[in-house]
Amino acid sequence: MNTQLEQSFVQQLQENQNIIHKICRLYTNGDDAHKDLFQEITIQLWKAYPKFRGDSKFSTWAYRVALNTAITLYRKTKRSINTVEFEGRQHFLNEVEYNYEEEEQLKLMYAAVYQLNDIEKALIFMYLEDKDYQEISETLGISEVNARVKMNRIKGKLKKILNPLG
Amino acid sequence: MKELDLLKKDWQRSENSFEQVSADAIYQMIHKKSSSVVKWILIVSILEFVLLNGLSFFLNSKEYDAFVLAHPIIKTIEIINYVVIFGFIVLFFRNYRLISTLTSAKELIKQILTTRKVVKFYILWNIVFGGLTGTYTAIEGFNEGQKAANSQAELLDSENILVILIFALIIMGLIWCFYKLIYGSFLSRLSKNYTELKKIDL
Repeated sequence: MNTQLEQSFVQQLQENQNIIHKICRLYTNGDDAHKDLFQEITIQLWKAYPKFRGDSKFSTWAYRVALNTAITLYRKTKRSINTVEFEGRQHFLNEVEYNYEEEEQLKLMYAAVYQLNDIEKALIFMYLEDKDYQEISETLGISEVNARVKMNRIKGKLKKILNPLG
Repeated sequence: MKELDLLKKDWQRSENSFEQVSADAIYQMIHKKSSSVVKWILIVSILEFVLLNGLSFFLNSKEYDAFVLAHPIIKTIEIINYVVIFGFIVLFFRNYRLISTLTSAKELIKQILTTRKVVKFYILWNIVFGGLTGTYTAIEGFNEGQKAANSQAELLDSENILVILIFALIIMGLIWCFYKLIYGSFLSRLSKNYTELKKIDL
């Protein structure tokens, strides 16, 4: 193993670490689990790094490996889905923007997203990241049409979770 | 979907709200394998302790018991050995705990060096201790045999010091091979990781 490889990896990972943090936020509940998943994804990225040719952007590649790791780990643990509190999120909004109704809605939305399964979370994640269907399909290894269909189903599912009677 | 747009907005707004992980911490994460090596050292040392003692417990013969009874010093030495080995296992455990909770490459380097040192002392102790007790037992055994046979032959003493020395060396060599086989790869893996870390740590 050479040091140059390591240095470029660490530098790029550090610059793109928010990608991993965001995935952790979607797939874990609590600080410790977040850190564990972050570390696991880092290790997997490092293991896969020698195969990263640089023909795509580091971030695109990182999305793929990180999501795969999260999905695989999520399957392994088969954690029962518990309701999650998204408290303490107010600090994301500053005073002017603070809106009680919106905040309530957001809380419900995050809780709903948390109830999705591993693949659905990956799709919703890409959507939240503002990726187009082409990039979603490349990252997750599904066809573009399939991605669209799945996304529509997820929207339906979310609606149902938010409004079970509607 | 209105809620989804809201979520997207909030999601992107919170982009920079994560506590950033330092480069040093990332280095350490990808060198986590040291902690697994240290874990194996701990496991193997415990296994070795249990298996070897279990073996001697099952292989106990009446002759040996009588021999130990006649030479109480062997019992004492054995007890000292147990205490020391137990101490080493505690040290291995401590190394393991420390290495899995470290936060910087520098500390990891330090801990790898300590672990290597402890393992080397552990092996050295086993070689010296095993060599000495092995030789002592052999000499006493031989003398006893001579006495019992009422033989006119000389008891083993200073004249045969060369024989004793060779005997001790052979025993120690065998023990050394045994440990080299078990812990050698752990030690080399640790030192490989160490040289890699050393290059990073500027």
